[in-house]
Parts: sequence; structure tokens; C-alpha cells
Amino acid sequence: MSAIVRAAASGLVLCRTCGLVSPHGLADEGTRCARCSRPLFWRMPRSKERTLAWLVAGILLYLPANILPAIHTSGVGGEQDSTILDGVVSFWRAGSWDIAALIFTASVLVPITKFLVLGLLLGTVWAGSTWAQTERAKLCRLVEFIGYWSMLDVVVVALTSALLQFKALGTAEPRLGIVFFCGVVVATMFSALSFDPRLIWDR
Amino acid sequence: MSQRRIRPKYCGGVHTGTTELIICSHCDTVHRPIGLEKGQVAYCSCCEAVLARTGLLNVNVTLALAATAAILLLIANTTPALAIEFGGIHTQTNILASSFSLAGGWMSAPALVLGLTMFLVPLVQILVMLWLLAFASAGRRAPACRGALLLLHALRPWSMTEVFLLGVFVAMAKLSNWVDVTAGIGVWALSALTLVLTVLSLVDARSFWALADSPA
Repeated sequence: MSAIVRAAASGLVLCRTCGLVSPHGLADEGTRCARCSRPLFWRMPRSKERTLAWLVAGILLYLPANILPAIHTSGVGGEQDSTILDGVVSFWRAGSWDIAALIFTASVLVPITKFLVLGLLLGTVWAGSTWAQTERAKLCRLVEFIGYWSMLDVVVVALTSALLQFKALGTAEPRLGIVFFCGVVVATMFSALSFDPRLIWDR
Repeated sequence: MSQRRIRPKYCGGVHTGTTELIICSHCDTVHRPIGLEKGQVAYCSCCEAVLARTGLLNVNVTLALAATAAILLLIANTTPALAIEFGGIHTQTNILASSFSLAGGWMSAPALVLGLTMFLVPLVQILVMLWLLAFASAGRRAPACRGALLLLHALRPWSMTEVFLLGVFVAMAKLSNWVDVTAGIGVWALSALTLVLTVLSLVDARSFWALADSPA
């Protein structure tokens, strides 16, 4: 295996949009990529700060997303407000452990994983750590890959409330929790997109 | 930091950059491209990210897939994905219908996100691909090629039809406890659409950008 050469050290700069390799110097002058016309950067500007800002926003939104009810159902059995976690519990009690696990993964495991991984990446990058770089690079890609699956709850609430429209016999309506939950997904996606993975390898 | 806005002179595939090298976007390592056999994937020697895929599909096959996706998206949004019946009343819904039914007041925010990520983003992606590939298939560079490619790049992370498909299955399981649930044609169209879009998403972004270098 030949020695690893970094673009920044060898007078080259990569366009993150179209993948074109441009000569050194262009990035210094704040010019644009010759092929796709997007600005050229050594590293995404203010990547750490923007990642942190979106991450904090995501964490703050995650609290009301779980505390506030996500759906309101009414019918012969009475009226009920349920949070996302209530939904998991009721599936579990009804014996559908698989669906319960699926919703739990999408609405709890995935967002929490994203918070922890992004926090870890930011912390280590800020400290200039060289610990487990390859593994951290993989974590970074994992976050991008799992990111949007948390949207599952929003979809389920939308479908359920669109379908359950039987007046006195039974209706379902979305509640504010789902608005915040949607915010969590969007904020954490922006957070992951703001993170420049090349920072993991910089010293 | 002020940024000087210098627009590069761009004319018919002539630019100062090079495609003779590949730089890993995840760790900045410089690689020399190697010839890949069909179906092969090149990984970064430093961080193990995917560096390049083979052209996987030729222009005409990709064009056919994009056209298929367009038809499937149309079917998925004009036929019911799920239908339920209870006490003689019948209701049905699909991607667009469920987004619209959510809209109103605060709920307009998630309705908008759903409508965008499950319908509009995939729609625009498919149309842009059709535009680029139809011209490429005729051996020409599409008008507004760069804008179309930039749009494709910006939309890439925001297409979520596969999540909708999973949501349909969960909603089906949830509702079947109380009412009769029927899966409509929309579910089949959606399943096929998810498959086709996944194959399309595997087309290397570089091979799309290479279209910008082709003669007009």
C-alpha cells in the first residue's frame, strides 16, 4: 500500500458538489469550481459551529417531541391522546413486539444514536484527536445513512389520521408532538449535512 | 471573511480542473482512478468510503429506469395505497392525500416536509434525470445542464419514499387491530418505485457530472 496523500497537502482541492479536482490556490481566492460553479473550499466553512447549532436545535426539539401527544384518537372506546412512546407501549402490550421494536428504533434509537454520534464527532474534532479515525469516519457515514428513517412516525401519524375518519365511530387527529418530531428529523439531517468528515483526519 | 465572486468562464466542457484524479470527499485522500469492471466498487484506501462505482448502467438503461420511476410515481399518487372500511364507510389514502390531510395550522409544517420529501423531491429528481439522460441518449449535452446537475446534487439527501413504504406497512399493522385494511395498487407501485429509485441512486454522481463535459 502506498503512502496516503492528502489533497490539502498536495496542492489540490476537491469540489464537494461535482467531484472535480482543481489546482491549489483556487480555494484560497474564494473562487468557484470551473465545472459546477459552486464555491471551492478546503473545508466547509464554519462546519463545526453549524453542526453544533443544528445538533442543539435537534436535541431541544426532541424533548417536546416525546412529551407532547403525537396523535389523538376518539371512538366508541373513548378519547385518548398518545405520545410516540405510548404507541410503542401499546403495540408491545398487544403482542406486536416486532412493530413496537420498529417504531422504537425509528423514534428513539435512531435520534439518540444521531445525537451521540454527532456529539462524539464534534468533541473529538474540536479536540484534534487522532483516536479511531477510520471508525469515526464510518460512524459519520452511518449517521447519514440512518438519518431520515426517523420520519417513520410522522408518516404513520399522517396515514392513520387520513384513514381513520369515521365520525362518531372513530377518528384520529395529529397533535403537536409530531410537529416537533418532524423538526428533530430535519434539524439532525442538517446537522449531519453540515459536518465536514474531512475534519476527522485534520490535525 | 469576504468572498470574491469570480464566475469561471465555462464553455462547452472546457475547464481548468481535472478528472484524472479522484479525491475522497470523506478524508481528502488523493487517488488515481483505476479501471473498474462492471459492478465493481472502489473504496478509499484511507477511510474505506465508497470512492467510485462503475458506470453500472449505460445511458439508455438509466433513461428507461427514470421513465419507469416517473410512471410508478404517477401511479403511486393517483391510486390508493391503503384503504379501510368500517361500519359501511370507506376511506383511502396515498402519499399526496395523506400529506394534504395533515395540512392546516401547525400541522402544515410536517405536511410540507412529507409532501416535499415523499413526493416533490423524488418527482423533480426523476424529471431532471429524464431531461439530462434524454439529451445524453441523443448524444447531446442538455440545455441548462449545470443547473440541472446542481439541483440533482442538492436534492440527493432529501428523497424518502422508502420511509413512506415502511410507514404504510406499520400503519397497516396498527389499523388492522380495529378495522379491515386493504393494500391498494399504490403499495405495489410504491414498492416498485422504491426499488427503481434505489438502483438509480447507485449511479455514480461523477458519471452524471461527466455529462457536463460532453460536447453540446
